[in-house]
Amino acid sequence: MSGQPIAEPAPASDASRKWVTAGKPATSWLDDPRILGWGSVALVLIAWELIAILTGVNRLYLPRPTQIVVALVDMFVDGKLAVDLGYTLYRIFAGFFIALFVGVVLGIWIATSTRVRAIADMFIAALYPLPKVTLIPLLIIWLGTGGPFMLTISALGAIFPIIINTVLGVRQCDPGLVLAARDLGATHRDIMRLVLLPSAIPSIFAGVRLGLGVSIILVVAAEMVVGKLGLGARLYLAGQVLETEQVFAVLIVLAALGIVVTKLQDQIDIWLGRWRLA
Amino acid sequence: MAGAAVAIEFEGVGLAYAAQSGAPTVALDDLRCRFMPGKVTAIIGPSGCGKSTMLQIARGFLDPSAGRLRFVEVASGKGTQRPAMSTVWQAFNLFPWLNVVENVEFGLRLAGMSAAERRARARKALAAVDLTGFDDKYPRQLSGGMRQRVGIARALVMEPEVLLLDEPFGALDAQTRLVLQEQLAALVEKSGTTAILVTHSIEEAILLADTIYVMTARPGRIAAEIDVDLPRPRSHATTHDPAYGALFDRIYGLLRDEVMRAMVGERAET
Repeated sequence: MSGQPIAEPAPASDASRKWVTAGKPATSWLDDPRILGWGSVALVLIAWELIAILTGVNRLYLPRPTQIVVALVDMFVDGKLAVDLGYTLYRIFAGFFIALFVGVVLGIWIATSTRVRAIADMFIAALYPLPKVTLIPLLIIWLGTGGPFMLTISALGAIFPIIINTVLGVRQCDPGLVLAARDLGATHRDIMRLVLLPSAIPSIFAGVRLGLGVSIILVVAAEMVVGKLGLGARLYLAGQVLETEQVFAVLIVLAALGIVVTKLQDQIDIWLGRWRLA
Repeated sequence: MAGAAVAIEFEGVGLAYAAQSGAPTVALDDLRCRFMPGKVTAIIGPSGCGKSTMLQIARGFLDPSAGRLRFVEVASGKGTQRPAMSTVWQAFNLFPWLNVVENVEFGLRLAGMSAAERRARARKALAAVDLTGFDDKYPRQLSGGMRQRVGIARALVMEPEVLLLDEPFGALDAQTRLVLQEQLAALVEKSGTTAILVTHSIEEAILLADTIYVMTARPGRIAAEIDVDLPRPRSHATTHDPAYGALFDRIYGLLRDEVMRAMVGERAET
């Protein structure tokens, strides 16, 4: 009897240890989101390959994953796809960075001046909901189909979300911070640069995410309409001559581009938000 | 402090906002008071009486709609320019994207001071508020009391001739508040700076101030000017002094009626 009280703590601590480690069960690899994600992709590809082989479907309609990979490697080896990718990336990002710079400057201006806001509100309300692809014919008439056209269409896609989110971010800035900066001797310019801009950055970056997505869509769409070079053009030309493997290969490159851009944005988001997570 | 000693005088200062309909709302009415150099002056009053607004007027962020503000050299009695001022805010107003030392450096950076010198000064100011070793923390990572100590360091590092304290401990819990009141009292006594303290707390006003202005409910007027003669340095122990009790009762007596009036006014508005 006397031994019992001494022995009692042992099972209690055992139980608590089990409770602490309960988050890590033995079958942990099934809970790893990366294994689950890539594993399911691999399963779909294997199923696709097997079904294509077993049903003997015409490769013009549905090439097998292995055939697509061969086409993809071939296209990269002869260098054409790399050139296309380069053109598309250049068009997307050159236009996007123009939109980022102009959009942020315009956004701060709109947010800090009631007059400018009154004017800009009308134009933004008219232009923002307009699907930007509808501007392609007009832009071709004005700018032709060369570099200026591509940069314009890319910048047009990104600039509205960036402007709107910059305005939102600046207007949500805590007025107490502006007062504190003034109290410490900040001029109007200092306040814009050192208070309004940094406090709007999380919101601006939300606009960047939206805007870059639209830029990618627009550049690829424009390339499909007018381009001789670029991923969109390659996709369209391959489709016309029924090179289905090449169509899939270009789609894979575009999907990979999407993954890279999204993951990069996630990383930038974490870095920018380091003071908010604490 | 550097420069000639300058007093701040409110000469019949009033402030009225244009209302959407009818007569303009009068926030402050015919204020006559003076803030002496090297002294701590407290402004105490019911909420909504416009005491923070007074501070904004003193700082120059708001222009009075009546009367005027004068800055007077005490020695010569001549008018002079606005002395350098820094504010400590109730809501701290730290820049959340800057870490502790960058927050304290902010004003020095605007003044164009070299990186090495402003870092050294910021460190010194942080040491004065017992915040050594927190340079790289962001405001979110600090407790309320620590954040306000950063706020105090950020104001003091500017070496202002006048320190404006806008309910500096209003957002803190009662215990943190006690400790910080004592710390601030010691800092202000040591620096000899002029300070204007806006507060709800009678205890805070008595502990820190040389002179207390008690305000009426809106429209804010000066109801009484009370000198605090309690010996310095003051601390929580000062509250056991019988003279403290007498002062407290006198101020509470003045405020009680005004707070009741303010509450009735609020009820009428809603």
